[in-house]
Amino acid sequence: MTTLIEFLQINWLETLYKAWEHLYISLIAVLLGISVAIPLGIVLTRMKKGAGFVIGFVNIVQTFPSLAVLAFFIPFLGVGKLPAIVALFFYSVLPILRNTYTGIKGVNPNLLESGKGLGMTNWERIFLVELPLSLPVIMAGIRTSSVYLIGWATLASFIGGGGLGDYIFIGLNLYQPAYIIFGAVPVTLMAVLIDYLFAKIEQKVTPKGIKGIKETV
Amino acid sequence: MKSKITAKLWVLGIFIFLMLLSGCSLPGLSSSSEDTIKIGAQSMTESEIIANMISQLLERNTNYNTTVIKNLGSNFVQQKAMENGDVDIAATRYTGTDLTSVLGQKVEKNPETALKIVQEQFHKQYGYKFFDSYGFENTYAFTVTKKLAKENHYEKISDLKNDANNLNLGVDNAWLKREGDGYEGFVKAYRFEFGNTYPMQIGLVYDAVKNGKMDIVLAYSSDGRIKAYDLQLLEDDKNYFPPYDCAPVVNEKILKKYPEIEAQLKKLIGTITTEKMQELNYEVDGNLKEPSVVAKEFLQENHYFD
Repeated sequence: MTTLIEFLQINWLETLYKAWEHLYISLIAVLLGISVAIPLGIVLTRMKKGAGFVIGFVNIVQTFPSLAVLAFFIPFLGVGKLPAIVALFFYSVLPILRNTYTGIKGVNPNLLESGKGLGMTNWERIFLVELPLSLPVIMAGIRTSSVYLIGWATLASFIGGGGLGDYIFIGLNLYQPAYIIFGAVPVTLMAVLIDYLFAKIEQKVTPKGIKGIKETV
Repeated sequence: MKSKITAKLWVLGIFIFLMLLSGCSLPGLSSSSEDTIKIGAQSMTESEIIANMISQLLERNTNYNTTVIKNLGSNFVQQKAMENGDVDIAATRYTGTDLTSVLGQKVEKNPETALKIVQEQFHKQYGYKFFDSYGFENTYAFTVTKKLAKENHYEKISDLKNDANNLNLGVDNAWLKREGDGYEGFVKAYRFEFGNTYPMQIGLVYDAVKNGKMDIVLAYSSDGRIKAYDLQLLEDDKNYFPPYDCAPVVNEKILKKYPEIEAQLKKLIGTITTEKMQELNYEVDGNLKEPSVVAKEFLQENHYFD
């Protein structure tokens, strides 16, 4: 216990910096993932064929070992944060894409019909009917994605991307548990906190109308 | 209908059979048998090559069974694995590293004295035999491209003093926090710090500096890519780094239990020069051969199997 306290006294600033790097890498990757996966998911719901193929393909991407994906980008992007972010971005896509697709597909067709009846355009139906109604499902995808990414971002350290993984590897290499603890515990806390934060956002953005009926659906 | 089920059963049966078969060769599973000598290799090319040499020597020239346990994260992990009995022979250990990290002693600049201390202390504290060196050393070396060295007249580490603040340094995943020969001691000895430090897997630093992703990297001097990429090593003019002569370390109990190990290992002692090791490493890292193949070729060329 005393070693842990000593560790913090010496390294607290650096620990904060590593945590910031970690958060930075994973959040940028999630944001990129959101900006690609949600529009793509919407497009897929408009396609008669091919949706299954695209989702199947993204599914396969998801099964690549994360370390291999990180290593794959080194010849093109070199070492550092950029290849780490790009690799993590690929992982963030699937959960968000799948949830967007199923969420929108699950919207009651009668509501879409009423939208049409009210004279809504295609865009209006997407933004005023489909997206709001499927938001809880999409948010669930975003949460899954960010929790994964925060965990995987520890591997960024392997390719010079920094983050809390640096501490975990130092701890392993030098056999110093304090480093492992101060690498792993903040990662866990971060994942829990981000999940909580997104849950709060989810509650905020969920339309009042479907809050009550969510349980019955 | 019936034939479909039989077909499925067949596939399942073959699958399980293959699983069992591959399971036999997995290190964690097969090493539990008492009669196998476990050779530990660090997660470095050179360590894997040498571990394979030892394994092949023992398998060909004696009737012992061996298994190579690869990718042990570091010297420390290898040491702990030995203490737990998971590893019997550590393929590559380095005098300077063991002196400062495992034994926690002061840096000793004289290679012979360093080796002597390590050999005595390993025998006394752990009951391990620290052999004489294979004949090569693998030290930390600050490395830049020839172009950068020429433009800025970098020849020794001290030449970096005024520019270090603007330089990005790529290092392995442990050096920054190593005690004795790590970054902290470096800053004390040379009195300057680098602008940014990027820890990464050691194998990546060579391409990183070659492609300009890093300005300077802390390389391992026995790596073949230094020569192949025409990189410039900077002289350690303050003699900060201790000697890192490479040698095998074996549990003395194992030497007693398998008396032929010692004679076989001694065949390798003093026979691999640093240049040779660089060549062998490059065979793996540059020419993408398997470490076991490179080990076999080396042993055959030098008539170790005769």
